[in-house]
Amino acid sequence: MTQRQWFKLHGWCSLPIWILFCFICITGTIAVFSHELTWLFNENARAVNPNNLAAQPISELVATVQNAYPSANITTVMTFEPYLINAVIFSTETIPSGIAYVNQYTGEIQEVNQGITFINFMRSLHGWLLFPWQSSYSVGYYLVSAMSFVMIGALVTGLVIYKRFWRAYTQPKIRAKQGKKTLLTDLHKHGGVWSIWFLIVMSLTGLWYFTQQVMWHADIDIEAHPPLVEASDIPLGEKADPPVTFADAMKTTEARFPEFRPSYIMMPEHNRDMFKIMGGGDTVFFDDYSYRVNINPWTGEIASETTPETMGALQTIQHIVDPLHYGTIGGIWTKAIWFIFGLILSAMSITGFLIWGSRTVKAAKEKKTPLRESLQSEGAN
Amino acid sequence: MARRKNTFWNRNKFKLSGLILILPFYFLYEQLQPPEFPDVWEEKSVGPFEVAIQPLNNEAPYAHHEDWVKDFSAYINEGQVSDIRQGYVNIGEEPVPLDTLESDDVGILHGSELLQHVHAIAPQKYESEHRVWVTLQTWDGSVHKASWELPENWLK
Repeated sequence: MTQRQWFKLHGWCSLPIWILFCFICITGTIAVFSHELTWLFNENARAVNPNNLAAQPISELVATVQNAYPSANITTVMTFEPYLINAVIFSTETIPSGIAYVNQYTGEIQEVNQGITFINFMRSLHGWLLFPWQSSYSVGYYLVSAMSFVMIGALVTGLVIYKRFWRAYTQPKIRAKQGKKTLLTDLHKHGGVWSIWFLIVMSLTGLWYFTQQVMWHADIDIEAHPPLVEASDIPLGEKADPPVTFADAMKTTEARFPEFRPSYIMMPEHNRDMFKIMGGGDTVFFDDYSYRVNINPWTGEIASETTPETMGALQTIQHIVDPLHYGTIGGIWTKAIWFIFGLILSAMSITGFLIWGSRTVKAAKEKKTPLRESLQSEGAN
Repeated sequence: MARRKNTFWNRNKFKLSGLILILPFYFLYEQLQPPEFPDVWEEKSVGPFEVAIQPLNNEAPYAHHEDWVKDFSAYINEGQVSDIRQGYVNIGEEPVPLDTLESDDVGILHGSELLQHVHAIAPQKYESEHRVWVTLQTWDGSVHKASWELPENWLK
C-alpha cells in the first residue's frame, strides 16, 4: 500500500464518525470521575467520618433502613469507595424505587434518592447512549463498542503514516509558530503516540464489550446462574421464614473469604432464591465482583462460590476488563491518568477533524483561485 | 490528495454521524415519562387469595435462554404474599404441574409483599385455547389454581 492509501484509510477510520466518537470519549472521560463528582456535588453522598468510627456491618445498615421504613422491601445493597455512602435499594407503597444513602460510619440515612443517579446516568450515556434495552441487547451498546474497531484501525494506520513515531518520545516538538495546521498536526501526532498504550487498552477492552454483547444477545452465559433452593429444603406445614438472616449470610461469607470486601448484594426475591453476595478480594487486577457467594437462606450453606482462582478464561477476562477500562486499578491516581488520556483522546478526534477540514477547504479554495494567487498566498504563509 | 468540490455535502458529510446524538436526548426524555401499562385484568380467587394480574405490555412472548416468557405484575389483593410457599404462572392449554415447575425457576412469582413480578412461561405463539394459569402453593402443601383467557388483541 502506498503512503497515500494508508493516509486515506486513516481518515476513513475515524473521520466519518468523529462527532459521535468524540462524544463517547468525553462522556467516558467524565464517567472516570463519576464517583468523585458525586462526592463533590452531593453532600449527602459523602461518608463523612469526623469521629473516626469503624464502618458498621452492612446488615446493620440494612436494619437501619428497615427501621426507618418498616414496610420497605430491601432488594439490593451497594458499596463504593470508603468516602462514599452505602446505597440500600428498597421499595415501599409510596416509594416505588428508593435508594437510601446510608453513612456506614454514623449509620445515618442522609438521603433517599428516587431518580437517576449521576453515576448511572454517565455510565448509561457513555456505554449505550441511553438506547433502550430490548431484553438482552441495546443498539447503542453495539454502536459504542464497535468504536473499538475504528480506534484500533486509526492507531495502526496512524503509526504507519507517522514515520519514526518514537521521536515523539525522544525529541518531542510542538511547533506553535508555523501556522494553525502545523500546530494541530503536531498536537495530533504527539497525542496519538503518547497515548498508544491507552488506545490499545481502550480498543481491546472495547472489543471485549463488543464480544460480550454478542454473547448476551445470543443467550450464551459467561457466568453460571446462582443455584436455586430445592423445593424440599423449604419446610411444609407451618408458615416459615428463612432461618438464616442476612447478617448470618454475611458472616458466613466473611468467614469463607477473610479479605472479602462486599460491593453488591442481592436479597432473595422468593422462597427458592438465595442471598447473592458479590465483592472484591485482595487480587489487584480483578473487579469488585470477582468473589461471588450464593447462600441458601434455609440451610445457611454456601450453595456455590466463584473466585478468581476458579474462573474460566472468559470469566477471567470479564472480571479484569472493567478496572482496565475505568482506570480503577490503583484508585484515584490511576483514575486521574485515565482522565487525562481520555481528554487527549477526545482532543485527538477534534484536532483530526480540524486538520482534515483545513486541508479540504484549502484544496477546494485552491482549485477555484488562479495558480498565481495561490502561489502568492503560499509564499505569504 | 484528491481534489474535492467545496460543496455543502462535502463539507458536512462527516458531521452527519453526530445526528445520532439526538437520539440519546430523545431516549432520556422517554425514560423520564411515566410508563404506560395495559389495564389490570380482573381479580380472581386462587384458593384463599384474590389475585389480579397485569401484563407489562401487549407484545408477543420473548425468548430468554431456552424459554419463551411473558412478563406480568401480580397483585395479591386478598391474603399475604408470605402465605404463599411458592407460586408460578404459565400460559398454555393446561397449568404446568407443580413438580415440573419446581425443577426450575422460570415462571416463579418473585418480588415483595407490595408487588409480585413473574416471567411467565409462555408458548412461542398464542393460540385461542391458551389461558394464563396461576398456580399457588400454600405452606400446608395445598395447591390452588386459576386462569384467565387471553385478550382478543393478543391472538391476532
